Amino acid sequence: MKKAFGTLALLFLLGVLLVVASPSNGIKFGLGGEDWKTYRYTDEYYIQHGMDEVGGTNIVTDIVFDYRGYDTLGEATVLFTAIAGAVALLRPWRRDENEE
Amino acid sequence: MRSDMGLIVKTTARATIPLIGIFGAYVVSHGHLTPGGGFQGGATIAGAGILFLIAFGFGEMKKRYNHHLYSVLEGFGGLVFLGAAMLGLGVAFFYNALWHEGPILNGQPGTLLSAGYLPIMNLAVGLKVFTGLISALFAIAAYRRWRE
Repeated sequence: MKKAFGTLALLFLLGVLLVVASPSNGIKFGLGGEDWKTYRYTDEYYIQHGMDEVGGTNIVTDIVFDYRGYDTLGEATVLFTAIAGAVALLRPWRRDENEE
Repeated sequence: MRSDMGLIVKTTARATIPLIGIFGAYVVSHGHLTPGGGFQGGATIAGAGILFLIAFGFGEMKKRYNHHLYSVLEGFGGLVFLGAAMLGLGVAFFYNALWHEGPILNGQPGTLLSAGYLPIMNLAVGLKVFTGLISALFAIAAYRRWRE
């Protein structure tokens, strides 16, 4: 019963997402021309000013390390925490050490 | 305990591990010019380490892997990242002071010594990702409780 309800909810969410993602009444794909200026003006700014303001020719690195540096800082923190958690959880148990 | 591969795999690994390492170092150091950067290059170099672990076995890796050194290097990479971010603290956090009025790393865009703190951050993140992935993979390889 619970499982059927969960499946129905998943199907409903999938349907909503499909409606939203269709170009006639939701987001559009392959923007160009006027749509690019309307919906992607931030990207336009990065492409035009990235090289002068940051200095790197790789715009992705410019954005990731300079414009949105906090994001990369958080990403590095997430990686650090993941490694620390994995190593901490994978340490030998006290019982195993006694057996060997 | 024979957990290592055969002769052909070992010889091939001996030939390819330096190449993978050099390519990873290239991806890290040219992160501000070409596609890639700290995360991708660090993962590439970690791939070389994983190849070493698989080809030469856990015993050989254990001799060369120093847990304390890798922990310290991972923390050091994060601190260098933060330090580079704080270089322009007089204006703002993450202000690219080296690019705007810095003494070094402010060459013509497109050259290696340009883009302010971006190369420093790429190196730091690459070091961090490499040491972190190697630590995690070593911990997984050392976890062999199903043995008996």
